Amino acid sequence: MADIRIGNCSGFYGDRLSAMREMLEGGPLDVLTGDYLAELTMLILGRDQLKDPSLGYARTYVRQVEDCLGLALERGVKLVSNAGGLNPAGLAARLAEVATGMGLSPSIAYVDGDDVRSQGYPGALTANAYLGGFGIAAALAGGADVVVTGRVTDASLVVGPAAWWHGWQPTAYDALAGSVVAGHVIECGCQATGGNFSGFADVERSRPLGFPVAEVAVDGSSVITKHPGTGGAVTVDTVTAQLLYEVQGTRYLGPDVTTDLTSIRLAAVGPDRVGVTGVRGFAPPERLKVCVNELGGHRSSVEFVLTGLDIEDKAAWVREQLSPALTASSVTWSLGPLPAADADTEEGASTLLRCTVQDALPDAVGRAFSAAAVELALASYPGFTMTAPPGSGTPFGVYRAEYVDRSAVTHTVHHADGRTEVVR
Amino acid sequence: MIAPFGTFVHARSGDKGGDANLGLWVRHDGSPSYDARVAWLLATVTPDFVRGLLPETRDLEVEVHALPNLAGVNVVVHGLLGRGVAASTRFDPQAKALGEWARSRHVDIPEVLL
Repeated sequence: MADIRIGNCSGFYGDRLSAMREMLEGGPLDVLTGDYLAELTMLILGRDQLKDPSLGYARTYVRQVEDCLGLALERGVKLVSNAGGLNPAGLAARLAEVATGMGLSPSIAYVDGDDVRSQGYPGALTANAYLGGFGIAAALAGGADVVVTGRVTDASLVVGPAAWWHGWQPTAYDALAGSVVAGHVIECGCQATGGNFSGFADVERSRPLGFPVAEVAVDGSSVITKHPGTGGAVTVDTVTAQLLYEVQGTRYLGPDVTTDLTSIRLAAVGPDRVGVTGVRGFAPPERLKVCVNELGGHRSSVEFVLTGLDIEDKAAWVREQLSPALTASSVTWSLGPLPAADADTEEGASTLLRCTVQDALPDAVGRAFSAAAVELALASYPGFTMTAPPGSGTPFGVYRAEYVDRSAVTHTVHHADGRTEVVR
Repeated sequence: MIAPFGTFVHARSGDKGGDANLGLWVRHDGSPSYDARVAWLLATVTPDFVRGLLPETRDLEVEVHALPNLAGVNVVVHGLLGRGVAASTRFDPQAKALGEWARSRHVDIPEVLL
């Protein structure tokens, strides 16, 4: 069986909108994936859904598919993403509507069962178990052209298509672990190709960085690369960057397999091509990790600009002046570095004093706080100015990890023809 | 010799809940000192080294996991980000630039490695 060519066109909700088209036009692929979910994104989607229950998915994905579905179908590239967020059924329905509007009739499947809010996480806005890749594999085996999921692990977007393509069983731990590594490398988009990279000075930067591609072989080994003619680089260092961060320890736990990170071997195998071999895998943990977000409270902040002489005295005075208005349960002050003496620019002579307030209720961080800061404008330290007028406060979330028995989660594929299939 | 830690060490950092995550490794630049640099990095980066390098972590629990096959280490700093990205009041609530801060810190590096 030939290797499967899996591209990535998104590392987060808000990534380059044109990347789906770039990846479809830039070279051959079998599957194009996109990761839209981070811990924080689940909270944002949870708040969207509070306002409108039909939302809760990554809306930019609809725009991307609207632009590119015809192209993907024509080239036979499957689209697989976790853009479904909290509402994969809603996203699948919306994509079907969009497709019909364009006179296209793709087979659209969705995967859910990750949402465990009903199982008792008191106060949780969102609670999603991290699912593995076998739901995606089943959806593709069922003939789907487009697969949208909720909270599968980021790497599952690669594990699933590779397991489908190569017919891996759930106990093919080494192969699965190899694809987890490939998935982990490409799930953050351009972070595999020279973005957010300490060695940026040596990377081709005259063009936008290309998004990454993983060519996954039947044994789970892979080559990480990018389309020809794109900016950036794929080197042992750009791949290492992605492997050494966002892990916690040498065993990388996932729903399908535990990956031994000490077994990974990387080697340059051509221009912008890095081979990933030797990856060992073991049986996954008994329990699944759950991403839980609660509304933590409300927050606001204000930044005062302090310029010139007597910075510390100026800071002390404005702090004292604002203190009666600081009724929030948490108040954090921070003062930037003292500016150099005799600076030859005004900015160089200035620093920022920041006050951040948090409280369970909106009132203490709302107008009572912002108006008190503004009222000082003509009645405080010389040169009083702020970087922006303080806002009315925004809600914030608190994330925590929980664990749930596999038996409590019903990992379900909803095929385009209406059939449902429960995975494991 | 005193030099920036990032002279030949690359870094990437990020968040996992309230913990910060930091990868450090020796860049592949064809230097004849590559193997010695890797050995130095693996021997040098301990929890106490990290707490000294990044004084804001001095009271926090730090784990260092060696990954010699990747010529580097993964460092987890527990609790640096408070209760997680959305709740953190830290200057860089997702620890995205923690690695570049680490690279800019001056450390004592054996001259033969430079």
